[in-house]
Amino acid sequence: MKLLGILLGCALAAGAAGTEVILIRDADVYPVSGKEMKGVSLLIQDGKIVDIAPKIVPPKGARIVEAKGLRVYPGMIDSGTELGLSEIPSVRDTVDAGELGEFMPQLKALSAVNPDSDHFAVVRVNGITSAMTFPSLGGRGGGFLSAASGERQLIAGQAALIHTDGWTWEDMEIKRCAAMTIIFPTLTAAGRRGGMPDIPLDVTPATVSGGIANARRVFDEQIAKLNDFFDNARRYEQAKAAKEPDFETDLRYEAMIPVLDRKVPVTVSAGRANLIHEAIQWAKKQNVKLVIMQPLEIGKAGPELKAEDVPVILSRVLALPNGEDASYDQAFTLPAEAYKAGVKFAFGTFTNEFVRNIPYQAATAVAFGLPYDEALKALTVNPAQIWGVSDQLGSVEKGKIADLIVTDGDPLEIQTQIKHLYVKGKEVALTNRQTRLNERYMNRN
Amino acid sequence: MRRLLLAGLVALAPLGAETIVIQNATIMTVSKGTIKNGSVVVRDGKIVDVGEKVMIPEGATRIDAAGQYVIPGIIDCHSHIAVDGSVNEGSVSVSSMVDIKDVINPEDIAIYRALAGGVTTANILHGSANPIGGRTIVLKMRWGKDAQSMIFEGAKPGIKFALGENPKRSGNPQGGRGETTTAARYPATRMGVEDVIREAFNQAKIYKAAWDEYNAKVARGDHPLPPRRDLKLEALKEVLEGNRYVHAHCYRADEILMLIRVADEMGFKIRTFQHVLEGYKVAKEIAAHGAGGSTFSDWWSYKVEAFDAIPYNAALMAKAGIVVSVNSDDAEQMRHLNIEAAKSMKYGGMSETEALAMVTLNPAKQLGIDNRVGSIETGKDADLVIYDKYPLSDYAKVQKVLIDGTVYFDRDKAIAEQAAKDAGKQKLLDKLKQQNQTQQPTGGRRGGRGGESL
Amino acid sequence: MKRLVTALFLIVATVSTAEPRAVAIRNARIVTVSGPAIAKGTVVVRNGVIDAVGENVAIPAGAFVVEGEGLTVYPGLIDALSTLGLGGASAAAAPTGASGRGGRGTQTTTVTTTVPATPAAPAAAATRSMGPEDRPQTTSWEMAADEISPSDSRIPNVRGAGVTTAVTFPTRGIFGGQGAIIDLITGEKPGEMVVVPAAGQYIAISRGSGFGGGMGAGFPSSLMGNIAYIRQIYLDAGHYQAAKEAYEKDPRGAARPAYDRALEGVLASKRILLPANRVVEIDRILRLAAELKQPTILYGLLEAYRPEAAELLKKSGTPVLLSLKWPELPREIDPDNEPTMRSLEAIDKAPSGAAALKKAGVRFALYSDGLEQPRDLQRAVKKAIDAGLSREDAIRALTLSPAEIYGVADKLGSIEKGKIGNLVVTRGDLFDDHTQVVWTIVEGRHYKPVETGPAGGRGAATEEPGGDR
Repeated sequence: MKLLGILLGCALAAGAAGTEVILIRDADVYPVSGKEMKGVSLLIQDGKIVDIAPKIVPPKGARIVEAKGLRVYPGMIDSGTELGLSEIPSVRDTVDAGELGEFMPQLKALSAVNPDSDHFAVVRVNGITSAMTFPSLGGRGGGFLSAASGERQLIAGQAALIHTDGWTWEDMEIKRCAAMTIIFPTLTAAGRRGGMPDIPLDVTPATVSGGIANARRVFDEQIAKLNDFFDNARRYEQAKAAKEPDFETDLRYEAMIPVLDRKVPVTVSAGRANLIHEAIQWAKKQNVKLVIMQPLEIGKAGPELKAEDVPVILSRVLALPNGEDASYDQAFTLPAEAYKAGVKFAFGTFTNEFVRNIPYQAATAVAFGLPYDEALKALTVNPAQIWGVSDQLGSVEKGKIADLIVTDGDPLEIQTQIKHLYVKGKEVALTNRQTRLNERYMNRN
Repeated sequence: MRRLLLAGLVALAPLGAETIVIQNATIMTVSKGTIKNGSVVVRDGKIVDVGEKVMIPEGATRIDAAGQYVIPGIIDCHSHIAVDGSVNEGSVSVSSMVDIKDVINPEDIAIYRALAGGVTTANILHGSANPIGGRTIVLKMRWGKDAQSMIFEGAKPGIKFALGENPKRSGNPQGGRGETTTAARYPATRMGVEDVIREAFNQAKIYKAAWDEYNAKVARGDHPLPPRRDLKLEALKEVLEGNRYVHAHCYRADEILMLIRVADEMGFKIRTFQHVLEGYKVAKEIAAHGAGGSTFSDWWSYKVEAFDAIPYNAALMAKAGIVVSVNSDDAEQMRHLNIEAAKSMKYGGMSETEALAMVTLNPAKQLGIDNRVGSIETGKDADLVIYDKYPLSDYAKVQKVLIDGTVYFDRDKAIAEQAAKDAGKQKLLDKLKQQNQTQQPTGGRRGGRGGESL
Repeated sequence: MKRLVTALFLIVATVSTAEPRAVAIRNARIVTVSGPAIAKGTVVVRNGVIDAVGENVAIPAGAFVVEGEGLTVYPGLIDALSTLGLGGASAAAAPTGASGRGGRGTQTTTVTTTVPATPAAPAAAATRSMGPEDRPQTTSWEMAADEISPSDSRIPNVRGAGVTTAVTFPTRGIFGGQGAIIDLITGEKPGEMVVVPAAGQYIAISRGSGFGGGMGAGFPSSLMGNIAYIRQIYLDAGHYQAAKEAYEKDPRGAARPAYDRALEGVLASKRILLPANRVVEIDRILRLAAELKQPTILYGLLEAYRPEAAELLKKSGTPVLLSLKWPELPREIDPDNEPTMRSLEAIDKAPSGAAALKKAGVRFALYSDGLEQPRDLQRAVKKAIDAGLSREDAIRALTLSPAEIYGVADKLGSIEKGKIGNLVVTRGDLFDDHTQVVWTIVEGRHYKPVETGPAGGRGAATEEPGGDR
């Protein structure tokens, strides 16, 4: 028995994609892609879900996890983070998001991710198994020096879809370039505050001074610049394809090719309906796929979003309304609004600190009108689809990567505990610096 | 017998006081358990009866809360809403002369939004820019009333202290970042923070001695010139005399311990440690001092001093015998303190009542107002919140909020009125836009009264 | 022939200040304000004082006569709060500057065409205050009467609107100093202009915002800091007074109290002016005034139209100065950043504040709040009239009411024998759109309105300062 324990310990400690064979027995499985299955077993092998059936004979050497009365869900996905890129936001040295430079499509968030960031273990414990991490969220591009340099960043770089566990960033990689982050010029200043002590959170891009006409003029100038860059990228792609004799590799334009080929979407943070409209029109003209991030309103923008098949990543549901006269629950009802408007959406928390609360954000959306199943989808299959990995992730189905959580109840409910967590088929211990500090000081008191 | 007497009193009560009975609800009293299918009777702003069976007074307005839950009004022990102007007087190290009471803004929409989140009382604090900050006040969220009417009558006033990174920030101005280089303000380190506090109390003691001497002379029948009243030192004198609560913003274990020892040395008590994210490390010492702890549910990592913050903090401190509350320090967070309280059930295994107490009875105790609020008991203020679902679930929504027995928030009404409000605003905006256009511009026209010849 | 003579006189009058000893307006409609209007009468001003007014009045020989057929005579208008005659238009900012000043500056609604924020007075930045005891934001001893500049170019301008008298205040810092009531004569000696050298202490309150609380120019940097500052000064003034008296009674062996000119200035002021625009501020400032136990006048009063405001003021009996700078809808509305309902209501209803105060029986005067062009002034008053204030009450609010509020109703504010000869002669009813001011008479000197350039009026749209959180 002890030997088994030691072996188990080693197995848990050993890294890489799960080499273990695990059988979860007698659980209630909630695939999200289909109806729930009560009292079934699930077999994990080589990091994948290989079987789900009422009765599975465990292969030799398989570890059995008795899960009677427990539930299995897909691991949750947060579509708006800086995980691995930012440790303590107020300390610049710990932040690797927000680089300088106007057009930086060649920057890769993935290879700057610190796999030992304390944030990963913290968010895992609440069931988040993967996340989109962005080279710049909402316009902080240029970091602390953008004001002085006068330059405004327009393309921030490649956002990566990563697992929240792994020895290296390579280990954690799901999609190296899941989206090209564009910092769209702003028309005005609009945004909510709330959710952070002491340090005001800068969610939206910098404001433009000088009146509306001036704002429009600056906006048009910035768009023109962006268009020029895209045009140059297109010409580069053509020259490359035609194997032009004087062709020289340009890393920036290289990075643009998947975007131009519509293999990778661009993300644009656009709060108000006007800006959403501008972004959609611009993306159409450029013939690129678009994902809108952090919309503050759906009402007016809904029809166009639906018609053009543009998905959105919603920011935190628990947020203040837009302006003094708006309904007090305006932000709470936004997901329901998106759903009713037929807009596909996923949830994002847009702050590393709050990633672990993403299930509770979803629950609030349910309380204020979003059907429960849609909330669950927005944490699992929807983001998988939006980021182009729905063949691998997002639901509990045979053949998919075994990113799973085993819970004692509804994962969106606060009192629910996660009993087991699997990333790429490997069980990850539900400990982090916080649980360790808790244990340590429990002994002191 | 008591019931009959009560009924009799009720019958004799003056006309015009609204009597309300909330019926058929699950009542979580916090202090006396949960009543599965009960009612609360409210009269003259007070709770006059709670139980499975109550006598319903004649003419009472009935609120049918079938399938719903009633809890005591939520008390937020750390808030900066309803303040006109800056919440910080950061120009000086000690700003105890300023008073939040002077700048209450009863028309701040944040009050209404807090109500909509179940908050009925809030401890409105000065910011954390100074080791010793300004005076603080407790308000009830009586939306629609004027500033004075929002003040929680009889609640002992407070004063804000701040330790750690925030008060140090002014001592470490960020020059060369494109901002104007302002002169540094002492202190720049935690050492200096302690010194500022000790020195201020040193001065306060001297001030107090002068006034004690003056008062003694007057008592003897003399008429000496009184000492100059110094508002800054007066607040600290009140702290020394136990007439003003100290609410100390703090993060790290070392500074928490430091303040306890300074308080011991100077002879005052800390009423609450605010944020106190490393409180779990020195829970023993905090408990021994008798201070309360008012903390976040699960915020962490936004500053260096918040990096050891753990969501088990509230539970660990509570288990050590500290009265613990969970607060918001934020206009958005205060709208869902029920959820934040529930988190201590998940992290730390607190029971449902223990968790709920962290946003009701415990902050009431910390603010010295638990004789009036914090639980559903006869005789207490009728500050009540009705939820449509289990209040400690993140699926629950606030339906109604009563303060002093008056309904201040009604979700159904709020939703119903919103469309009309939007329409009214659009109409006014259109009217004003039109007026703007029909006005003649003056540019190009002859100004003045011109020299018209007679 | 008569026409030629008067024309000649007119030509002379526009240029020189050589004054006949008497001025008479004959056969005009006379609105005395203190009594019923005289349909056809004559006013005689002699040696700067109203000598006679009535239906049949003898005109002294050698008087400068204005044929008043078709004209109306009113008492000269009094601007109850201004900076006329002081330091040049920009240096001592109008009482409405965005920060550090009173009036509209203290409002939270951002409805006015914004004025670029005036920084704290440069002199104050030199020494940073470390507390109320340092008091670099107090210049309470300053007297406007000592700083009057008769050549202030704004004076002929506002005279063209019929303003003969201004209550002018130094407005730097928190305690700006004492104002003076001046008659707008273009004389040689500034002292000639001063009717009352000590009209009261001007106090301004600035806000700070959000989690700011920066150090800037020092203490105070927040609204609550400002209030604590004011409170402490009055405590100190009281203590200073008591200490001085005790020392005078028996100096032997006692510690001598140091001379403190800031406190002397505060003690010398017989009344104070405090800013209050929103109902919340009115409530707050009335409480502060009651605490300080000083005779107080409130200025600004943007939300005077709200019933709570009138109620509070009625109960306290405090007189108020209502700013004529009504808030306006910005020319361009940002669709993503629409004004709040609260600010829209203010834009819509502010001009009706005057009528509301009148109805509630609150003593009030109107003041220019920096409006200098006659057209702007006229339009602003007309707006109040259109919004429900009767013309009589509008005129009173610019004549006898301010005189009463400042305690000089025995000298100014109406056309009565013995009062100072300040008159305005118009063709048409005062404040109507096409009315012209024909003559402005100040202390018996007659002035013809100077034609101002086409730039009169609202002026260029100002830039919105960049949003910065």
